[in-house]
Amino acid sequence: MGLREDLERYREVGEEKREDLADFIQYGDLGQSLPDEIRIPIKIVDLPEFAYDRLDKGGIGQGDPDVGDPVGQPQPQPGDDGDDGDEPGEEGGDHDYYEMDPEEFAQELDDELGLDLEPKGKEVIEEKEGDFTDMTRSGPDSTLDFERMFKEGLKRKLAMDFDPEYVKEALKIEGWGPDRAFEWAREENINVSKHWLDEQYDAIPADERTTWASIDEMQENTRHRSAAQKIKEEGIRHVPFRREDERYRYPEIVEEREKNVVVVNIRDVSGSMREQKRELVERTFTPLDWYLTGKYDNAEFVYIAHDAEAWEVERDEFFGIRSGGGTKISSAYELAAAILDERYPWAEWNRYVFAAGDSENSRNDTSENVIPKMEEIPANLHAYVETQPDGKAINATHAEEVDEHFGDSEAVAVSYVNGPDDVTDAIYEILSTEAE
Amino acid sequence: MSHRPHTRKAAEPLHEPAAEARNLAHKLGLDPYDVNYWVVDYDEMNELIAYNGFQERYPHWRWGMQYDRQQKQGQYTGGKAFEIVINDDPSHAFLQESNSLADQKAVITHVEAHSDFFAKNKWYGMFADDLDAAAMLARHADRIRGYMADPDIDREAVEQWIDSVLCLEDNIDQHEPFKRQYERAIGDDVDDADADLAERLDEMDLSDEVKRQVFDEEWLDAQEEAPADLDDPEKDVLAFLREHGKAFDAETGKAVEMEEWQTEILEMLRAESYYFAAQKVTKVMNEGWAAYWESMMMGEEAFAGDDEFVQYADHQARVLNSPGLNPYKLGKELWEYVENTENRREVVRKLLRVDGITWRNFHDTVDFDRVQDLLAADPALDSITAETVGDLESVDSKKVDTEALEAAKQGDIDVDRYPWKVLTYEGLAERHFSLCKPQNRGFLRSISQTKLEQYARYLMDDARYDSVEAALADVDYAAGWDRMREIRESHNDVTFLDSFLTPEFVTDNRYFTYEFSQTTGDYRVASTDYEDVKKKLMLQFTNFGKPTVAVYDGNYNNRNELLLGHHYNGVMLDIQQAKGTLERVFDLWGRPVNLKTIVKEVDDRDAEIARRRDREPDPEEVGKLLRYDGDEFTMEDLAWSEVEEIAATEVDYDTKPDEWLA
Repeated sequence: MGLREDLERYREVGEEKREDLADFIQYGDLGQSLPDEIRIPIKIVDLPEFAYDRLDKGGIGQGDPDVGDPVGQPQPQPGDDGDDGDEPGEEGGDHDYYEMDPEEFAQELDDELGLDLEPKGKEVIEEKEGDFTDMTRSGPDSTLDFERMFKEGLKRKLAMDFDPEYVKEALKIEGWGPDRAFEWAREENINVSKHWLDEQYDAIPADERTTWASIDEMQENTRHRSAAQKIKEEGIRHVPFRREDERYRYPEIVEEREKNVVVVNIRDVSGSMREQKRELVERTFTPLDWYLTGKYDNAEFVYIAHDAEAWEVERDEFFGIRSGGGTKISSAYELAAAILDERYPWAEWNRYVFAAGDSENSRNDTSENVIPKMEEIPANLHAYVETQPDGKAINATHAEEVDEHFGDSEAVAVSYVNGPDDVTDAIYEILSTEAE
Repeated sequence: MSHRPHTRKAAEPLHEPAAEARNLAHKLGLDPYDVNYWVVDYDEMNELIAYNGFQERYPHWRWGMQYDRQQKQGQYTGGKAFEIVINDDPSHAFLQESNSLADQKAVITHVEAHSDFFAKNKWYGMFADDLDAAAMLARHADRIRGYMADPDIDREAVEQWIDSVLCLEDNIDQHEPFKRQYERAIGDDVDDADADLAERLDEMDLSDEVKRQVFDEEWLDAQEEAPADLDDPEKDVLAFLREHGKAFDAETGKAVEMEEWQTEILEMLRAESYYFAAQKVTKVMNEGWAAYWESMMMGEEAFAGDDEFVQYADHQARVLNSPGLNPYKLGKELWEYVENTENRREVVRKLLRVDGITWRNFHDTVDFDRVQDLLAADPALDSITAETVGDLESVDSKKVDTEALEAAKQGDIDVDRYPWKVLTYEGLAERHFSLCKPQNRGFLRSISQTKLEQYARYLMDDARYDSVEAALADVDYAAGWDRMREIRESHNDVTFLDSFLTPEFVTDNRYFTYEFSQTTGDYRVASTDYEDVKKKLMLQFTNFGKPTVAVYDGNYNNRNELLLGHHYNGVMLDIQQAKGTLERVFDLWGRPVNLKTIVKEVDDRDAEIARRRDREPDPEEVGKLLRYDGDEFTMEDLAWSEVEEIAATEVDYDTKPDEWLA
């Protein structure tokens, strides 16, 4: 019926209407997502229409609040949905979300930005069963390779079967008898028993026992069918199954290296990091977190906030913190080094160390402390994200110094985010830098 | 609907309820279209809902979207879709196979009331005299499918064209009777939209003389290239585009005449818009009407059997108590209010004619408990069983269906099951007189002095009755129901709410308005005042709850550009969406399009000051001209004098308290 087509067409249209991933990262509402479920808005009302400004329109609610109280999420309004359904409980609402898990997110971001970061396996954590491709001679019935057993049986049958009519004719050669015939059969590789020949010989009337004068005469006048021909003509009556043909499938042992990653997010929370700068950091770090979560089997995150000192915080607080104080970026790297050494040994963990701030730092801290620390901490990648929405401050040179020192190093990325437009470029810059 | 034996079986027990619900509806004064009932399964129900109740619609992804949503919703509601009834003559109603019998009966009574509303409300009547909606929509589906299959027409182009038209589906003049395009053009009553104008004229078989004089070449040309010189803005934007719009040829970058399929689709979708408009402008009334009569039949008249009643009560509670502003509940309560006030008026006017009772001494003189007792329905009407049916002999013959009573006595009517069969409309009205219901007992007493004075003012014969008894004996119990039927004929949601939404209703239901606060960045409760709530409510029902946008000029600045104007009523447009819509309007106009509107602007300094004072900035209203030339948008400020005509002077739907402002 037509509706199926309509539904398919809607799915196609819906796919097109999903907010572009890059747009979403740069401008979208990241807050609707959870660490393991990224929610990208889809415009449900796909066709535009002349409508009231949502904010300016206001609405009607039900309850007993006082004037001036916040109302939370607007309640469904009758005008929200001008449709003609007669069913109760029609829902309004402007957005639906396209939900993707971090794996899909990473995949899409790869496609969108042309990345191909291949996560490295570290420690061997287990020997896992792979596909059932190995064989043993014993095992549970359910793993018996019946096909193989049948084939072996069939081969055996082909090798052993013989044409009884043909062998019987040999018994009719003058002067042969069972003993001579048995010898002959052996020579011819016909698997016949002496006992069978005796029986057959007894059954042949005496006058027929001299039908042929010689073996040559017999062979000229009878047809000898091979086992294969006989099976073709008469069908197969049974295939002998033998214990020695039984094989059981057995899983291949695969050495699994778990792809562990730890991401250290460092953020300058000092007084100069105003709202807008903070938001840019969040916009850059959050997709990086999702991406790496999607790429690795096991991702852990460490959040370090710093001004002149550094301390570890939970994710919930990380983007909101604002403190007074000066700035000493090396304090964060010292803490990062300590945490990584203690909890995330380099032999077992992939490490990413991302720092962000407005490039302001204490005098000489960058060259004397931060750069040596960055060189000292083994990691897949170090990155610094400079957020300077209002243009450059004169003493804000941290990013430049780092950039200059490491140059085109594959282990260090520096990127500049001055507005939401720069976010995806920064993400690309960072993720495409990692050393092979 | 496909013929399937098992649904036939499911339909079997519904024959009697359907027939009896109709009889009951007639007894109660309703006059529905005939209704064809269909029993369908859950999937079919979802499909029908996606198609707005019809079996055939033109191919479009929006049905797929509705289906998808419907299915997702079904996951929450456990797959209970209650009813679909379509406005058609005869009406068609769909019952879901898996519903319980109690649910089915409720749906049937509900449907009968809807069908009455379809048949009697004048906004429905404006679409067509002989309604055959299913056939019309199926015809449209065929035509459009045909265009899509036509190798000479690009399928994508058809789809896009439909999308463009749908963006304007609410931009019609829903308060005017629907006229087919050619009728608009020649102001006559011909009924085939397909042929072009000249052809139509030939078929009209006019004398040559008339043709020469009235419909001369010049006139025909004028129709083709009508100078869009509008005295009044044209609200039917689709009609205007159909008459004067062009398509845009991307290859040459020029406006070209619309292809036949384009004008046809435009006209078909416009017709569908008009058809569905009646439902959209009477949602509260219509749902309330159905809920009221459903409750009357199922509850009061025990159409639900004793064993089904609990189930029914549960069903009703679910429908009426869904959260937010629920049209079923709002509508039902407003209807009950109409009924109560009219009944009260009737009773009060009778009482005021009793010698010695005046509007001044009314509350002191009248013994309301006694009045209540006197008004109570005759016990013989109130409780009717096979044993007591004989008592009806003594009741006023106007109230008793004597024929049915005879039959009942013979045992031909099951009175225990269908007690209403032995009564007339008048009898039923007395049996269910609203002021005698426990929940309305205080209603009579609560009448205000002002109202009393108003009722008394035109009462000449003010000492007609010697006693309260005599006066009340004359009460017309059907007054409320009669009035309700009058109102259901002439009103739509806007006028209905405007006339019957009372301060009590707003207070009792604890309604308030909220507005967005720039300073705090969230919605805040703005007012609990009755006038404000009503205003906000009206905003949501006026013009489908959408801003009014009309054509102001088809030759703007003498450059054949289209000028639309937004009737600004204190709430601004969603500019982002307006841009999206203008892009689509461009497709239908083929030349640059303009939109005049008024926006609210707040400069940063004011916003900052307001924030510091913890107040709201007072925005400035600025006229704007948004223009789209097929390639890019421009937005320029307009002097106030240029937007004065689009600014509403009488209503402002903004309910922000003044003291919020900085």
